[in-house]
Amino acid sequence: MASIIKALSTSLWRLSLTTIVTFCFFSETAFSVTLTTGKDDQSFLPYWKIEESGMSLRFVQRIPDQVRAFFLSRGFSTEDAEHIATSCAFQTVLTNTSHKTVPDPLNFDLHEWVVTHKGMKSGMKTREDWSKEWDKKKVSENSKLTFKWALVPTQMEYLPNDYNWGMSFFNLKPGSVFDLKVVWRQYDKTHDYVIKGIQCAPDIHPDPETFRNE
Amino acid sequence: MNRLLPLVLLAGLLAFGSASFAREQSIQMLHPLQEPFLAPEFELKGEDGTLYRLSDYRGQVVILNFWATWCPPCREEMPSMERAWQKIKEKGIVIIAVNVGEDEDTIFAFTGEYPVTFPLPMDIDGAVIKKYPVVGLPTTYIISPEGIVTHRAVGPREWDHSQLLDQLRNMLN
Repeated sequence: MASIIKALSTSLWRLSLTTIVTFCFFSETAFSVTLTTGKDDQSFLPYWKIEESGMSLRFVQRIPDQVRAFFLSRGFSTEDAEHIATSCAFQTVLTNTSHKTVPDPLNFDLHEWVVTHKGMKSGMKTREDWSKEWDKKKVSENSKLTFKWALVPTQMEYLPNDYNWGMSFFNLKPGSVFDLKVVWRQYDKTHDYVIKGIQCAPDIHPDPETFRNE
Repeated sequence: MNRLLPLVLLAGLLAFGSASFAREQSIQMLHPLQEPFLAPEFELKGEDGTLYRLSDYRGQVVILNFWATWCPPCREEMPSMERAWQKIKEKGIVIIAVNVGEDEDTIFAFTGEYPVTFPLPMDIDGAVIKKYPVVGLPTTYIISPEGIVTHRAVGPREWDHSQLLDQLRNMLN
């Protein structure tokens, strides 16, 4: 009996130690951001993705031609569609992944994000910034409605497991390279991370087959 | 004491494990709103001309989804929403997927690609979505039989997931 208790006791110590080590590892890595880049599986366009224990944010280039086509087919004039298409669009996917670790809401406000291009700092071009332009240009209400909902919201709270897609605009010329400081709030803390060397898609008209195999 | 300590740690381990299990379980669950609110009333036409009035569904749990055909995550969740609809319709739960800003032809073309049979009313001028605190598509609200918005999901879900369906069924009780 004593040997059984001793063996059980030893096993439990090992198990407990493993748990403690795992917990310490998790605690240590909980707030470290990882950056990955590569080519998106579906669009074959470059992406930049950051992940932390409770969030994931991915930017995928949008070629100006894709953006032109999208907005031309939704009632925008050629001139306006051109303006939108050459304003550096990215498909943006933000996810609250905290349901996998410790569930907690995730908040962000795009006004706090900083774009650095050739040493100059600026903000992103938000729904509200665009809306002022459309009001002046007398764009149809239906086109404005689509435009609004196609963009990433300016402020948002994501509950655990919430995620969303939308376009984001950086108001730079096609092909520009910039750094982006991303700011978000989670676990009663403000987090930030600078993604370096993001590139706006160049204004090219690629042949789909060649492009896929590049 | 030396022999008791592992048992204490085991209890902690079990508790930790239970918490992890609970977190895994919560993946498909809908999160309750901190401040539930009375669902704003609306009356919209579907692409087939049917009139949909929210108050007609009082007494049922309403899954109120806002979507658009051009929105990739909206399209992503439509098949699971249809599968869920096949399991829950006529059981006191209804799905109403309000299309934002598009017309009959666009929705008709979409349903050719994504066959769905639940109501798809059209909010062509965006008047209804304005009444709800939506900031991105898709957003889905759960409305209690009393007409109170109690839960919200931003982004797609696997609507036919058993946990999620159980949660919805429990809202009827």
